[in-house]
Amino acid sequence: MKLEDVLQKHFNYSSFRIGQKEIISSILGGNHTIAMLPTGTGKSLCYQLPGYLLKGKIVIVSPLLSLMQDQVEQMMMNGEKRVIAFNSFLSHEEKYQALHQLRKYKFIFLSPEMLRSDQVINKLKEIGIDLFVIDEAHCISQWGYDFRPDYNKLGEIRERLGSPLTLALTATATPEVKDDIITSLKIEEWEEYIYSVDRPNISLVVENIRTYQEKTKRMVELITSLEGPGIIYFSSKKLSEQMASLIKEIGFSKIAAYHGGLEQETRILIQQQFIQGQLDVICATSAFGMGINKDNIRYVIHFHMPLQLESYLQEIGRAGRDGKQSLALLLYSPGDEHLPNQLIEGELPGDAQIDWLYDWLIDHREALYNLSLFESEIRRISGFTDNQWRMVEAFLQFNDGEQIEKTIDQLKKFINERMLIKLTKIQDMYRWTQLTDCRRKKILNYFNEEKTIEMRNCCDCCGVDYSGFYSFITKEPSIKIESSFHWKNHLAEILLSERKT
Amino acid sequence: MHIGDQMNDSLIKMLILYCLHRIDRQRTIFSIFHLLKGKKSAQTIQDAHFFQLTNLFHTFTDLTRTEFEELVLEMEKQGYLEGFPHQSFRLTSDGYKHMELFFEKQPIPMSLNGWKFHQVTELFWERLSLAVQVVSHLKSWDSKFIPIQRKKELHSWLKGFIQRTGLNREELGVKLYEELVDCLEEYKENDPSLLVLRLTGYQIIGLTTRQAAEKMNVDNDTYQLRFIALIHYMLENIQENPTDYPILRLFVTEDNEIFPLTHSAKKTYDLLKKGFFIEEIARIRRLKSNTIEDHIVEISLNSSSFDISSFVSTEKQKLILDAIMASNSKQLKQIRQFIPDANYFEIRLVLTRVGEKI
Repeated sequence: MKLEDVLQKHFNYSSFRIGQKEIISSILGGNHTIAMLPTGTGKSLCYQLPGYLLKGKIVIVSPLLSLMQDQVEQMMMNGEKRVIAFNSFLSHEEKYQALHQLRKYKFIFLSPEMLRSDQVINKLKEIGIDLFVIDEAHCISQWGYDFRPDYNKLGEIRERLGSPLTLALTATATPEVKDDIITSLKIEEWEEYIYSVDRPNISLVVENIRTYQEKTKRMVELITSLEGPGIIYFSSKKLSEQMASLIKEIGFSKIAAYHGGLEQETRILIQQQFIQGQLDVICATSAFGMGINKDNIRYVIHFHMPLQLESYLQEIGRAGRDGKQSLALLLYSPGDEHLPNQLIEGELPGDAQIDWLYDWLIDHREALYNLSLFESEIRRISGFTDNQWRMVEAFLQFNDGEQIEKTIDQLKKFINERMLIKLTKIQDMYRWTQLTDCRRKKILNYFNEEKTIEMRNCCDCCGVDYSGFYSFITKEPSIKIESSFHWKNHLAEILLSERKT
Repeated sequence: MHIGDQMNDSLIKMLILYCLHRIDRQRTIFSIFHLLKGKKSAQTIQDAHFFQLTNLFHTFTDLTRTEFEELVLEMEKQGYLEGFPHQSFRLTSDGYKHMELFFEKQPIPMSLNGWKFHQVTELFWERLSLAVQVVSHLKSWDSKFIPIQRKKELHSWLKGFIQRTGLNREELGVKLYEELVDCLEEYKENDPSLLVLRLTGYQIIGLTTRQAAEKMNVDNDTYQLRFIALIHYMLENIQENPTDYPILRLFVTEDNEIFPLTHSAKKTYDLLKKGFFIEEIARIRRLKSNTIEDHIVEISLNSSSFDISSFVSTEKQKLILDAIMASNSKQLKQIRQFIPDANYFEIRLVLTRVGEKI
């Protein structure tokens, strides 16, 4: 069967998007493959489609739980039932059950920490892996903006699994990140498919605004005049909530906040309302957007700059997947570049915390044999956040209690290095906001690419004509209770009306 | 009384005053916290009955201790209550007036029955919302949608549910509609919209709790309490008239899975379902507590849907599981070395969930 026929049969598309066919052919030809495809161009198809042609299992390692969950749901929605997400969302009971029945599944998504378990590894070996996929492979690299200590062990794990055919996928990789991926996965020969990170239909605009107050005003102005749907990214949960309420108060009702602090049911509903068009604007933190399949997002606004160009690119990449002209707009005020520092400090454990941990471990050497039993106690006293703990745990788990001091020193050194890398990334991001010549050129250079095509509405430095982005419809003020709403009618609409697609 | 004062009279504050009025310094202020939160301790349950506050049991499960303390402190400043040693408080006459006025305007819903329904309230909503979404999509011949409830056990419950109704796509929508209308129509305390707005169907996504509260023009707490009360109304209605609700009834009755139990364990199970504790069952049945525990282990072994979390908290279950893994053994004694503060009963119960799978 031709690849196009498989595509048609299982995914109902008639043609491949850029890069997909090349990458899939490379895998099916038995080559280890490293692929870099920009956000929103259908990365997941590159391992889903081979699944229908390879006999054995497809194992996908994915660092972000929410992303994994979204992908699994997406696949199930498309009729693929043999898919499972093996992660900490599962209850212990479900985990044991899943492990026992792993053979039943074709696509097995795993979080890296699940691969720490010998049982899981042995089971995977037993059932046989035809393709080992590392999603968001930039997390392997120290130079990556989102380095996960757990990902560091993937090379070792891959060997234990018998070095299966491997596909490393990422949307953003600078050259040193790519080298790191290859080294740590211990791959000797591989094929490389690197596609441009450029999204020519997204105009890149930075507005310099003097004060926070003016920025807020400008944001309100933008939301009420730009053609939606749109996403506004904020640096904190609180801010996303505040701004959503503020905009609601002025009478613009089709807006909601979305962040990781919301209950699961609420998160699902808001995502779906946005996709369905009941909401026009989402005030979000970086938790929003992964796995959202919505083609017609017209703008992405950043109220503050992200921590690095890589995430900026990921986030604006959610706009304009339909190929139509879209807008990425970053609001900058003097001093914004200092804000991320605090965020980083929250991500990395502090010296005092590490010193406390050292003293505690000296008194509780036995804890090292089963750290998870002591997690709550350690975290309660030390105040490690989830991220901080993940890092600490990754360092301690292979320590046998003999060399605590050495491990702690390594940990501190590691934290300092991370800090430096992150600060450099912030500087890069900041410098990009302050450019006076083509922004697109600079961001492409950052990823070792050249700008090869000229386009209209490239960036504010090259000149952007805004008129295309404004909405012609005056946005309607909200009505508190529609007088027409009656619960029986609404229920009838849900359960009785005949609407066939 | 100034209008400004009343603005600060939130539902939760007034409920605390209401409870305080009932317990009248016979308990610490925290007994109210435990009650609203739904703590399953003998003391709290006894208090709920003794002071006739069973309706409010388990109605504010998200309330944190800090929030509660802040509310109390604020009301002390407002002069609504006055503190005594040992965390005892008394309602002032001003506090009483505010409370009375508040509930005159918006009474505590009559249908609210926290104690009776606290174990099924959330489950009923999860099943109902998922069933409505699925039935609506079936009706529209669209199988591609993201379920708004994620729990696996709900999904497998739903499959069984649809089979058990024995109805086709068309009938299912009609019958469910008719039963819901029938069940809600007589409800006069509040507008059933507060539930219906939250339902998701084909190309209609339900509102979140906050959005629904906004739409109904009430604050979140008021909305939540009314929502819970409405669910309780439905549950009571379904329980009283099961033959009127052949479909809705399936949301509350268990899978009818008849599992094999010894005669004695069956009796224990019946008493458990009525809400008795191990010690009470032992007393009633004139058996040793150990024997009752054996029964519970037997029940758990035979019914995977049996909820063991009221005997071992989920956090502790997790720790015990870790200990089982760490000890790599099924011997209670060995496992216990890894988790000294678990008793054998707790470990045995958790073991029933691990089974032969590892």
